Amino acid sequence: MPRTMLFLTLFLLGAAAARAQGLAFVIDSAGAAVSVVDVGSEREIRRIPVLREPHHMALTPDHRFLLIGDTTGNELLFLDPRTGEILRRLTVSDPYQLQFSPDGKWLVVNGLARNQVDIFDAKDYHLVHRVALKSMPSHLNFSPDSSTVYITLQGTDRLAAIALGSGAVLWNTEVGETPAAVLWHQGRLLVAVMGGNGISVVDPATGVVRARIPTGRGAHNLFLSPDGKVIYVTNRVDGTLAVLDAQSLKVTREIRVPGGPDDLDFGPDGRLWISRRFAHSVAVLDPVSGHYDVIEVGRSPHGIWLNTHDHLPRALAGTAPPHS
Amino acid sequence: MSDPFDTLAGWLSEHLLIPLLWQVGLMRWEDLAYGWALFATYGAMQVALMYAICLPLERFFPIERWPDHRVELTDMFYTVLARVGLLPLVTFVLFFRVQVAFSGWLTDHGYVPPTLERAIPGLLGHPILTFLAYALILDFADYWRHRLSHRFRWWYALHALHHAQRQMTFWSDDRNHLLDDLIAALWFGVIALGVGVPPLQFPLLVLVLRFLESLSHANTRLSFGWLGERLLISPRFHRVHHAARAAGKQSCNYGAVFPYWDMLFGTADFTTQYAPTGDPRAPEALASGGYLAQQWAGLQGFIQALAPPRRHLS
Repeated sequence: MPRTMLFLTLFLLGAAAARAQGLAFVIDSAGAAVSVVDVGSEREIRRIPVLREPHHMALTPDHRFLLIGDTTGNELLFLDPRTGEILRRLTVSDPYQLQFSPDGKWLVVNGLARNQVDIFDAKDYHLVHRVALKSMPSHLNFSPDSSTVYITLQGTDRLAAIALGSGAVLWNTEVGETPAAVLWHQGRLLVAVMGGNGISVVDPATGVVRARIPTGRGAHNLFLSPDGKVIYVTNRVDGTLAVLDAQSLKVTREIRVPGGPDDLDFGPDGRLWISRRFAHSVAVLDPVSGHYDVIEVGRSPHGIWLNTHDHLPRALAGTAPPHS
Repeated sequence: MSDPFDTLAGWLSEHLLIPLLWQVGLMRWEDLAYGWALFATYGAMQVALMYAICLPLERFFPIERWPDHRVELTDMFYTVLARVGLLPLVTFVLFFRVQVAFSGWLTDHGYVPPTLERAIPGLLGHPILTFLAYALILDFADYWRHRLSHRFRWWYALHALHHAQRQMTFWSDDRNHLLDDLIAALWFGVIALGVGVPPLQFPLLVLVLRFLESLSHANTRLSFGWLGERLLISPRFHRVHHAARAAGKQSCNYGAVFPYWDMLFGTADFTTQYAPTGDPRAPEALASGGYLAQQWAGLQGFIQALAPPRRHLS
């Protein structure tokens, strides 16, 4: 009996320690669910059913809610980022990508299927501007002063800049075939060109492409590391992760991550959590050794976010890379 | 343990579809590639399952025996076209933009396409129950679509293609005129605006429902018994609908999966006879022609049915 008690105590302590490390939320777009993964044990512990087709998520500036967009369900779900409990549902048309502006005043939601960009007041979620943009508005990012949002237009190979205050389109220029992620970086915009083989460097004032940097076929998503030293690019077609020096933008390394690498978040131990769209799993990658563990999740893992950032002070969290 | 269908669909996406889309400059559709791969994988599984179960039933417990099976080849072609995803893919490419434009226009006017779970909050968090509720609603809608397709002369001219087959087998379920398929797509598009679309995360359940539809066309002496026939549509029940005497306006047993609507609206016929199938009034090309000949004959019949009747001068 004492031995049983000892095992039970150790088990409970172990479980508590695992929970203390936090949770990863992985959206299963084709499975209409959100996989909840225990970061410590690297195992899926449950699935949260949603309405139809979720893709991406964003943490509210006050860290109280994790917003998940369900596109064909036309719904925004408000989850407790600590537990995954659904706290609120809001009808929003076709929420594909979503992100809060760095100052926390705006929530921008791209409607990819409906060719629209919705700009909400982040205080009460009332729609301030709806901007019609052709076509397929996909990813987004903001200028650091929160005056402008940049939207990639997957269907027309363009990038558009919208003034958040007025909703006016400032420019709309061609940047490369099927642009996906966009990232503000040191006064420039980096755009992953999914139909091509790398990223375009764009002037944020004019939208003119200044340079093109090859990273791999099907460049899809871009992430600045928490220390600001490197930029990671997921290459969907090649099945690789390109590592760029954040200053020179030169590719320093290429790591093989097969299975359609898509979204990425940073684990508490420095490893990278990467959703693999076609391999129903998450790769937890050590960027030094290039070795990765595989966590089985739902059939089509897309957006990924770890609540291990939650303890971060707000200012630091505000500078974290976009989760797109 | 991962789902083998997911694994196969993922492999198809990663190694065939995505590189192909990249090569031909169509990466904008990459987000949909996996869905299509999954659809095609389950479609292939449907065909394999039909073949594995229905073929022995037809071989060992047939209603009719035919010396020549060539006319069934056309039906096989219809099945592969519909089930493995080519037809839905073409339909999607043709109608995606129209659907997006229309639903966008509705949303701009304050109407967001609803879901059943919003109307019945108790369904939230119960996706399998929701799926079954949708299956019932869509089966009800299909009952009326099917019944109306027998009611109007121009519509039946198209639908006659489905009924003309005298050698009805489990392959015959998908033999439809393209315009008839188009009307069905529009019909369900309108229904979707009213009640939303069902959750699609249960392809296995879809597979079972589609299998039942195929089985109901099988050339086999199979009844589900008194009670079973009143719960699910059997080959015997559906054969009455395909009987030569039931072709056209005065038909019965219009249901696809559930017999409840026929029972409710007085069109159920639980007779135990296995009558010959076909439509004696349909052009021969609809029965024994190849795919293109059938489509052409159906179109001709449709145009003739729409034309005003000729006046006879005396």
